Amino acid sequence: MRVALVPGVLAFLPEYAGQVDPVPDVRAAALAAAAWLAEDGPVSVVADEQGARVGRHLLRAVGAAEGEGPDRSTGYLVVANGSARRTDTAPGYLDERAVPYDAAVEAALRAPDPDALAGIDVALGAALLVGNPAALVHLGTLLRGAGPALVDYADDPYGVQYWVMRWVVTDPGHVSEGSDA
Amino acid sequence: MQMRLGRHTFGPDDTVMMAIVNRTRDSFYDRGATFDDGPAQERVHRVVHEGAEMIDIGGVRAGYGEQVDAAEEIRRVAPFVAWVRETYPGVVVSVDTWRSEVAREVCRAGADVLNDAWGGHDPALVEVAAEHDAAVICTHTGGLAPRTDPYRIEYDDVVADAIAETTRLAERALAAGVARESIVIDPAHDFGKNTFHSLEITRRLGEMVATGWPVLVSLSNKDFVGETLDLPTQQRLTGTLAATAICALAGARIYRVHEVVETRETVDMAWSIAGRRLPRRAIRGIQ
Repeated sequence: MRVALVPGVLAFLPEYAGQVDPVPDVRAAALAAAAWLAEDGPVSVVADEQGARVGRHLLRAVGAAEGEGPDRSTGYLVVANGSARRTDTAPGYLDERAVPYDAAVEAALRAPDPDALAGIDVALGAALLVGNPAALVHLGTLLRGAGPALVDYADDPYGVQYWVMRWVVTDPGHVSEGSDA
Repeated sequence: MQMRLGRHTFGPDDTVMMAIVNRTRDSFYDRGATFDDGPAQERVHRVVHEGAEMIDIGGVRAGYGEQVDAAEEIRRVAPFVAWVRETYPGVVVSVDTWRSEVAREVCRAGADVLNDAWGGHDPALVEVAAEHDAAVICTHTGGLAPRTDPYRIEYDDVVADAIAETTRLAERALAAGVARESIVIDPAHDFGKNTFHSLEITRRLGEMVATGWPVLVSLSNKDFVGETLDLPTQQRLTGTLAATAICALAGARIYRVHEVVETRETVDMAWSIAGRRLPRRAIRGIQ
């Protein structure tokens, strides 16, 4: 089973296109991750409503088939990102708790450490304008039995922490239901 | 609609900056600044660098002034057309003339567009355009003879008159063999119009755009701007740009200008507000 994480960047959407792409690198990485998922079969999107628009757009852009439910999917595209309060020019201005919060999440993603992801402080995440902490918790359940992350992108070009990571889960245990994290 | 100006083609959402280069001693704004070859060439270098897609070369002042016969007009304009074409093959070369004999010489020298600013005064001009596959600009002058100013001209409906006259000229150009995509109409602000007429033309420009012919506007520093704001020639840029924004929102395609950079920014902004142009680079709030 393949799992990928991409950020819910609204600038990915065609309705917000400009003449010059402000996010070329993270977009390229996100599209490549979506294509990698699609190679293996239908893909389910794990996201909130806004993130789902981003996830579905990425899947459509690479011609991926969207799974009809967890049991029919061989891959998961999780749409989530870190804090939008990392710098004084970030959308949510600077909160000094943002960088350590993201660092802890990133360490849990890289390992991966499903228990650490399950224990994410969702309320603090919301305060730090994390792009859907619940999806990160859900991601933790998907990563049980996964090998280390392939990190394609990890940066905060606009004061928002983006990650594009991929995992291969060789021993999928319990797959939680729903895609409305 | 796609627009073809001689050797150059523009898509339906492209706008064009047409920079004015006068080979005259007495034009109202530049006052002979580009009469000599050196300064004229310098101006072309500058406006092309500033992004003008098109140069409009004129050899005779639009208003009353020094007599310039056809031979002198050709002498002023034709070699310069050849120079611009050779120096900047990617730039559209237009010539502002009403005389078919001048038109013939400048087409031979490489002009792409005949800007017939005196509204079909010489009916043979469109035949020259057809012969050379040049584009033609059909202008409303309210029936004035070349180089005359309006005096107590009134219209029942100036916009209706401008549409009727420019589309009649456009159909005549088409019948003469000018390609449909190479015919442009121009309401000609100030020409045969008082300030109230030009303001109304500006306000209702959308009606001209709705004819389907591409519309050119020539607003730059004109008297209707000066009278509206009570400002002399050299202080009319802001008013010009306000009028430009209104015309851009209505969908004018070509802008005949003195100031290229400011007009381009104004048109791009209005064009994006109208939803015809993407913002250059947008990230605010959608990171």
